[in-house]
Amino acid sequence: MYATADMLLTSTQAPAAEQSQEPAIEVVLVRAVLQGDREGFSRLYELYAPLVHGILLARVPRAEVDDLVQDIFLHAFKKLHTLRDAAAFGPWIAMIARNRAVDFYRRSKETVEINDDLRGSEPHDSRAAEILELIRSLPEAYRETLVLRLVEGMTGPEIAARTGLTAASVRVNLHRGMKLLREQLGFMEGL
Amino acid sequence: MNDDYLWDKTGQPDPQIQQLEEILGTLRYQPKPLALPQKRNYFPLLAIAASLLLALLAGGIWLRVRSRNEAPPQQASIETPKPKFEDEPVGTPKAPVNKSAVNPSPVVANNRRRNRSAPPALPKREREEALMAKEQLMLALRVTTEKLHLVHTKTQPNQIKNQHRVG
Repeated sequence: MYATADMLLTSTQAPAAEQSQEPAIEVVLVRAVLQGDREGFSRLYELYAPLVHGILLARVPRAEVDDLVQDIFLHAFKKLHTLRDAAAFGPWIAMIARNRAVDFYRRSKETVEINDDLRGSEPHDSRAAEILELIRSLPEAYRETLVLRLVEGMTGPEIAARTGLTAASVRVNLHRGMKLLREQLGFMEGL
Repeated sequence: MNDDYLWDKTGQPDPQIQQLEEILGTLRYQPKPLALPQKRNYFPLLAIAASLLLALLAGGIWLRVRSRNEAPPQQASIETPKPKFEDEPVGTPKAPVNKSAVNPSPVVANNRRRNRSAPPALPKREREEALMAKEQLMLALRVTTEKLHLVHTKTQPNQIKNQHRVG
């Protein structure tokens, strides 16, 4: 049931401008960067780095996330001229991040031990790593939305605006994902 | 479950969500400066290319001037023989002019060019000067090549540095 819902929800993407609270700041910045303003790209990086970080954190080992974030933004900087709609910078870079996460596993042939990378030295870190592991076990649409909400601290409307998903999709993903996570957490505490 | 708090952090906070936010917040993105690749400065490359071109041009002009100065004695030796019809009697009608005699055929022209390119018999002093000039030109070309190579090696490491380490 959830798999079908996932497919439905992820395919109903709408222009980010519909939900955007920021009056198309990315449009201004993208145009500035294309005209040679490198500072504009630094601003885009500040705005979208948490989104890319969250998308990667939901998919690849934590130790690799920071390097991949930098890598993705450098790639985006080089390929920005290929972006047709400046307002779609968020969905575009989110897609690059998802593809890069897939590439990461394809290249490393799944030899990376995720659990070892996730274990922190502090007990709090360890607990965070355990919960993150639970989130990662959820369907893809839920895990990304939950990480963006619970880890990166973004609100539902922000997630919708940045990823290009509709507000309704994000809302459903959040609630269903949270419900599943609560079940998993209850199961874990019951052990 | 408080829907509003999960959705946009409004309304009454859900204690479980708050706890999750607190724990998972430790994994949140920590701002780091983005190291954008430096703009490529093409000026040194252009300057070197221009100087190389200039050196080649100067060398070419020099060679041309020298070969032109040496040309006259060569031209004298390849003069075509005059047509014989001047010796003919006055009363006889003029024979039609043979075009090939006036305008030498391409084969003849080629021979002339070949003759001109043959090494001239230079006096010893001029020959030494020519050799020295050639040496200087070769040295200039070598220096320019080295500079180009240096610029190339200096610009290369930036690209390598920005590549991502994989797996």
